[in-house]
Amino acid sequence: MAANVKIPVIILSGFLGSGKTSLLTRALKQPQLANSAIIVNEFGRMGLDHHLLSRVEERTLLVGGGCVCCSMREDLVNACMELLEDMQRGAKPRVDRIIVETTGLADPSPIWFTVLRHPVLQHHFHVESVLVTVDAVNGMLHLDSHDESIKQISAADRVIVTKTDIADGEEIERLRRRIGQLNPAAEVELTDSEDTKSARFFADNPDSVRSPRTRCAMAAADGGREGRSAEDGRNGSGGHTDATHSVSIRFDRPLDWHAFGLWLSMLLHARGTDILRVKGLLDLGGEGPVSLNGVQHIIHPPEHLDGWPDGRRTSTIVFIMKKVQPQQVTSSLLAFQHMLGAVPYVLETDLQFPY
Amino acid sequence: MCVLCGGFVVQEHWTEGRGSTGAASVTVGGGASRERQRDRRDRTAMANRILACYGLKLEDWNGSKYIVRDVKGSSEIVHDLGALWPAVEKLIKKTADPLDPALIGRLQQQQQQQQSGRP
Repeated sequence: MAANVKIPVIILSGFLGSGKTSLLTRALKQPQLANSAIIVNEFGRMGLDHHLLSRVEERTLLVGGGCVCCSMREDLVNACMELLEDMQRGAKPRVDRIIVETTGLADPSPIWFTVLRHPVLQHHFHVESVLVTVDAVNGMLHLDSHDESIKQISAADRVIVTKTDIADGEEIERLRRRIGQLNPAAEVELTDSEDTKSARFFADNPDSVRSPRTRCAMAAADGGREGRSAEDGRNGSGGHTDATHSVSIRFDRPLDWHAFGLWLSMLLHARGTDILRVKGLLDLGGEGPVSLNGVQHIIHPPEHLDGWPDGRRTSTIVFIMKKVQPQQVTSSLLAFQHMLGAVPYVLETDLQFPY
Repeated sequence: MCVLCGGFVVQEHWTEGRGSTGAASVTVGGGASRERQRDRRDRTAMANRILACYGLKLEDWNGSKYIVRDVKGSSEIVHDLGALWPAVEKLIKKTADPLDPALIGRLQQQQQQQQSGRP
């Protein structure tokens, strides 16, 4: 089944109190989202009722060796299977999208894994984007003191800074820079309680179903544009985040897919839990780029895109890593360069080190 | 399946496709099969350049599985690259890590030997 007939799943995550539900409640009032199914996991939600597919308790089923990112969310499977059955029987009309709101402390990767790997769900649904809300007032504090918050940002395709009406401009700017350092591949957008167009985060242009991922991949390719200075690095990395680094790597020539697949699968096997995110566009010598998107051990099947952003044909990959230094990755890629058929060079990193 | 967990196969490993467009395409009889075989051969050859550093060898088995062997004759059957690395770990009794300085050193050596061997 082609990707564009699968029902998109949008994951909405964000730390406790970061405004996930408020954002969703506002967005659902807009007609674009009328035909959406919502899965939330806490009771006592207001304003969502007529859309609500199910309230579920997060129940996680560990599979295989029991690594946390590769776990099936049993609750999600049940809710989606039920919806699928209702739609196929004709009891419910086909929905345009499913929005899954996670709890504030949840890691979004098991949801990704569930939709991507469940024997039935994988044929009917695909994860379109991961939205993460960050509170403009307390976001910095959460990033400093909670690893969950960092993990959520790393997994995001889009980070939505909420409550911008009650934070001052400089604070918002600092937060944006910090998010940019943590996840150069994510788009950062602002919203506040008066925002009447928040449905745009969930429903993109209806005639380009895959647009968010495409645009995010392009954002990854453009990661270097905003030039983050050493000063930003000092401002941003406080205490706990020292262990999380991001690096954008480019290659001078088209890559050998087999060599790259071997290298990345080997890296993810050895260091999967420390590689929070891999994202980018690859030049494999074909006409368009191939988009690569992975969260921890899970790699989304690579997809061909039609054209290069800005017509600039070059492989760019962003790695967000914990405990792994950017220079370890680059020296490994350098050692593999003869197999890869291309020489890597660092576009930008949140660390300063000589090359 | 997860590269860490290995396990049963419900779908193609991500390394075996290089991006689908989702659109239907026309293939001449046997074309896809030839391409698949060529891919498997190239993948095996490339894997052997890395596995040589660990004294291991990968073989394609009937176009459906791979067999990874060490010099003492121990072997493991693997379905795809997702399962290859756990099998390698079992044979060499440690994790094959591309960031390992020892591996990086051996690859550089391998490269120098190849270069000096050329006329």
